[in-house]
Amino acid sequence: MILVILLIGSPLAAAAVAVLARPYRRALGVVTAVLSTASLGAALFAWARVLREGTFTAASGGFRFDPLAVLLTVCVAFVSALAAWMSPLIGSREEYTDAQLRMLGILVNVFVAGMLVAVTVNNLAIMWVAIESTTMASALLVAIPRTKASVEASWKYLLIGAVGIALAFAGTVLSYVDVRQQLGPVPSALHWDAVVAAAPSMHPQVLRLAFVFILVGYGTKAGIAPMHTWLPDAHSEAPASISALMSGVLLAVSTYAVMRWKAVVDVALGGALYSNRLLLTFGFLSLLVAAFSLVVQRSYKRMLAYSSVEHSGLIWLGLGLGPAGTFAAMLHVANHAIGKSMLFLLAGRILQRYGTTDLRRVSGLLTAMPATAVLFAAGLFALIGAPPFGLFVSEIRLVAAGFATGRTLLTIGVLALLVVAFVGMLRALNHMLFGPVPDEVTVGEARASEVWPALVCIGLLVALGLGVPAPLHALLVAVAEGR
Amino acid sequence: MEAAFPQLCILGASAVLLAAIIPLWRRHVPAYIVAFQWQSFALAFVTALVGYMAHIRELYIVAALIVAIRGMLFVRLLRKLQARVGEITELKPLVNIPTSLLIAATLVVIAYAATRPAVLVASSPTRGAMPLAIAVILVSMFTVASRKTAIGQVIGFLMLENGIALLSAVASYGVPLTVELGLFLDALLGFLVMQILVFHIHDAFDTTDVEQLSRLKH
Amino acid sequence: MVVTAFLHGLVALLVAPALVGLIRWVKARLQSRRGAAPWQPYRELAKLLRKERVVSQHASWVFRVTPYILFGTTLVVSCLIPTVLAPTGVQVFGDLIAVVYLLILGTFWLALAGLDPGSAFGGMGSSREMTVAALTEPTMAIAIFALALPAGSTDLGQIVRRTLEMPTSALGPGHVLAFAALFIVTLAESGRLPVDNPSTHLELTMIHEAMVLEYSGPYLALVEWASALKLFVFCVLLANLFVPWGVALSANPTAIVVGIAAVLLKVAVIAVALAVFETRVAKLRLFRVPELLSASFVLSVVAVVSAFLGR
Repeated sequence: MILVILLIGSPLAAAAVAVLARPYRRALGVVTAVLSTASLGAALFAWARVLREGTFTAASGGFRFDPLAVLLTVCVAFVSALAAWMSPLIGSREEYTDAQLRMLGILVNVFVAGMLVAVTVNNLAIMWVAIESTTMASALLVAIPRTKASVEASWKYLLIGAVGIALAFAGTVLSYVDVRQQLGPVPSALHWDAVVAAAPSMHPQVLRLAFVFILVGYGTKAGIAPMHTWLPDAHSEAPASISALMSGVLLAVSTYAVMRWKAVVDVALGGALYSNRLLLTFGFLSLLVAAFSLVVQRSYKRMLAYSSVEHSGLIWLGLGLGPAGTFAAMLHVANHAIGKSMLFLLAGRILQRYGTTDLRRVSGLLTAMPATAVLFAAGLFALIGAPPFGLFVSEIRLVAAGFATGRTLLTIGVLALLVVAFVGMLRALNHMLFGPVPDEVTVGEARASEVWPALVCIGLLVALGLGVPAPLHALLVAVAEGR
Repeated sequence: MEAAFPQLCILGASAVLLAAIIPLWRRHVPAYIVAFQWQSFALAFVTALVGYMAHIRELYIVAALIVAIRGMLFVRLLRKLQARVGEITELKPLVNIPTSLLIAATLVVIAYAATRPAVLVASSPTRGAMPLAIAVILVSMFTVASRKTAIGQVIGFLMLENGIALLSAVASYGVPLTVELGLFLDALLGFLVMQILVFHIHDAFDTTDVEQLSRLKH
Repeated sequence: MVVTAFLHGLVALLVAPALVGLIRWVKARLQSRRGAAPWQPYRELAKLLRKERVVSQHASWVFRVTPYILFGTTLVVSCLIPTVLAPTGVQVFGDLIAVVYLLILGTFWLALAGLDPGSAFGGMGSSREMTVAALTEPTMAIAIFALALPAGSTDLGQIVRRTLEMPTSALGPGHVLAFAALFIVTLAESGRLPVDNPSTHLELTMIHEAMVLEYSGPYLALVEWASALKLFVFCVLLANLFVPWGVALSANPTAIVVGIAAVLLKVAVIAVALAVFETRVAKLRLFRVPELLSASFVLSVVAVVSAFLGR
C-alpha cells in the first residue's frame, strides 16, 4: 500500500502542489522533480520485490505488480524523473508564462500518474480509463504553447486518440460478455487475473472480434500505422519534456495494454497464431510507413516522431514472434524509452537555440553546442541501432527471434526497412552537425547542469549494449515466459 | 409480452443507429445536436429496458445518468459552444451527402457481417442489437472523419461513445457500476477538454472549420 | 379471388378522392383556414368529367392514351394489395414485384405524356419525375423486400399474415426502418412536401403538376383520380404491411366489415399524420431531394440487411 502511495501518490501530490501554490513559484518545479525521483525509487523497490517474491498485489488486489507491470513502471518512472529534471519547470525559460507553467506542472503530473495507474492497476476497465485520461492530459499539454501548429496538433491528437481509445473500450465490453456470465456482475470480474482464469471457456468468436477492436484502439495510441497520423504532429509540437514522455513511454503503455489482452486472447483461442499474425501485420506496416517517411523528413522533431512509429512497429513485431521475440521487444521498450526521451529533450534544447525545427536551417551544431551535438549524435546512432548501444542488442535479438520462428521473408523485409531508416536519419544528422553556424545563433554551451541527465542516459544505453544486467535479464525472462 | 422486450430493445437500438446517421444527412449543426439528444434518450430507454428485463437495478441509475449527463448537460454545453463559435452549417463535408449515406449503409452491412459469429454464440436475448451497436460505432467514426466543423466532429465522437454504451447494455447488460461511474467521469472530462480545445482553435484560427487546420504536413 | 380484387378496387376508387380531400382539409385547419370539405375532390372529378377535352395540336396518341394507362395500372395495383382481405391459400394474389412494376409503368407513361406536347414545363416535370422515380422505386422494392425476407415470400398477403402471426416482429429493426423508408417514398411518389408541393401550379420547382399541366377535362379527371389512387395505395401499404391488425383473413361478412373499418381508420390516421407533417416542413430545394431519397434508400438497405442477417 505504501508502495502504491509513493509510486502514484507522488506525481498526484506534485500536481496538487502546482494547483495550490499561489503565486506560482518556479522553484516548485523542483518539487515535481524531487517527487518524481521518489516515485522512481518506489518503482525500483517494486522491481527488487518482484524479483524476490514474484508477482504481488497491493491495495487489496486493486493493484497488481507482475514482471511486465514492473518493467513498464520502472520505464515510466525513469522517463518522468528525467523529464522533470530537464523540464522547463526547472531553471528559467522565458518562452512560457507563469500560467502556462502552472498548467504544465499540473498536467504533466496527472499524465504521469495516469500512465503509472494504467500499468499497475489490475482492472482492465480502469486500465482503459487511465489510458484515456493520459490522452486528455497530454492533448492539453500539446496545446500549451498556444501556437496555431500546436493547437492543430492537439486537436488531431485528441480526436484520433479519443476515437481510437473508444474502440478499445468497445473491445473490452465485448470480451466482458463472456466473463460476466461466469463471474457475475462484480467489479472484480474485469480484474486481469480473473479474466485470464476465465479465458479457456470464453467464446473464440467473440474474442476474435474484440481483439481486433482492442488492437486498433490501443494501436492508435501506440502510434501504429495506419492510425499513426496524429503522432508526428503531436510529438513534434509538444514541449520537449512532454514529447519525451509521449514518445518514450506513452506508446509503450498502450502496447502494454495490448499485451495484457493478447495473453487473454491466446488462452481463449488455444494458441497465439491469430494474435501474432495481427501484431506482425500491424508492426510491419508501421515499420514500412515510418522508414519511408523518415527519408523525406524536413524537421528533426518530426523525424524523431516517425522514428517512434518505427520503434513501436518493431516492438509489435517482436511481440508477434513468440517468447524470444517478446524478450527482445521488452528490452527494446526499455532501450527506446531511454534513448528517445533523451533525444527529444536534446532536440528541445536545439530548438531553443536555433528557433526552428527545419533541418535545412540547422547546421554547424558541433560548433554551436558541442556537448549537446555529441550527445545528440550518439543518441541518434543508438536509435538507428548501431553498436555499442542497447538498441543494437535488442534489434539483433529481435531479428534472431524472427529467423528462429521461421519468418525468414518478413525478417529480411524488416532488416531492409531498418537500413532505409538508417540512411534517412544519418543524412539528417550529417546536415545538422556540420557546416557553418547561422549568424543569429550564439555559440557555446549554456550550463553544464543541463547536460548531465543526457549523459546518464547515454551511459545506460552503453551499459545495456554491453550486456543485459542480471536483474533486468531476470525480469525480462519472467515477462517473456508470461509469469 | 416477454418476447416483446428484446424486440423493443432492438427497436430502441435501431433508433440510436438512425440518430447516428442523421449528421451524415443534414448540414445544419443544431440538427446534429438534436439528433444527439434523441440518440441519448433512445439509449437511456434501451438501458432502462435491459435493466427491467434482466432485473439489474444499477442499469436504472445508468439510464438516469445518461439522460441527465448526455441528454441534457452535454446538449446544453453543445448549444452554448455552438452559439459561441457560431457554427451553423457544415458547408462542405469531405464526402457529399448521397455518397456518405451509401458509405454508412456499407458500414452497417460490415457491422452485421463482422458480428455474425459473435452474435451466433452469444446467449443474451438482446444479442440481435449487437450489430446495430457496432454499426453505430462505425458510422460515428465515419462522421468524425468526414465532418469539417469541430462541433460536428465532437458530436460524432459523442455518438461513438453512445454506441459503446449501447453495446455494453445489450451485449453484457452493462459493466460494473463502479466502472460505469468512472466512464461517466471520463466522458465528462473528455468533453470539457474538447470544449477547451475548440475554444483554442477558435481563438487561434478565428474559425472552427477544421479545413484550416492543414499546416502540418508529412 | 376475383371478388376480393373487385372489392379492393372498389374501396380504393371510392375512398381515394376522400383521402386527398381529408389531407387538404386537415392542412387547411392547421393553417387556420376553413378549407373545403373533405368530399370536395368528388365534386371536382364530376365537374372535370363533364368538361370537353382540349388537346394540344402537337400532342400525339401517347398523350391521349396515357390517362387510361395510368388510371388502369394504378387501379390494378389497388386491386392487388391486401387492403381489406388477406385470405390464406391464395398465393399469386398481389405480388410485390407486380405492384412495383405496375406503378413504374404508370409513371413511365406519364413522363412520356409530359414530354409529348413539347411544352417547356412538361419536359421539365418529366425529367424531374424520372430523377425522383429512379431513387424511389428501388427503395420501395427493397423496403418491402425487408418484410418479404422474414415472411419467406414476396406475396403481400403472406407478409401481412406473417406479421399477424408473430406480432413482436413488427418491432424489429427491419420493420421499423423499412417503415421509415416507405414513408419517405410515399411522400416522394405521391408528390407531397417536402419533395413536391401538391397545392401549387406556379412554382418552378413543381414536379408532378408540371407533367400534367397540359391535361384538361376527363383526361385531367383520370390523372387526378389515378394520383389519388396512388396515394391511397401507399397509405394502405404503410398501414397494412406494418400494422396489419384488422385485416380480414377469411371472407365472412363481419370480418370484411371490420376490415374496411380498420383500413379506413388507419388510412385516416396516416392522412392526418401526412397533413401535420406537411404543415411542419418546408419544401426542399430540388437538388437536395436526391439527398433525402438516398437517405430513404439507405434506410431500406439497412432494413434488408438487418432482416437478412439479424435473424
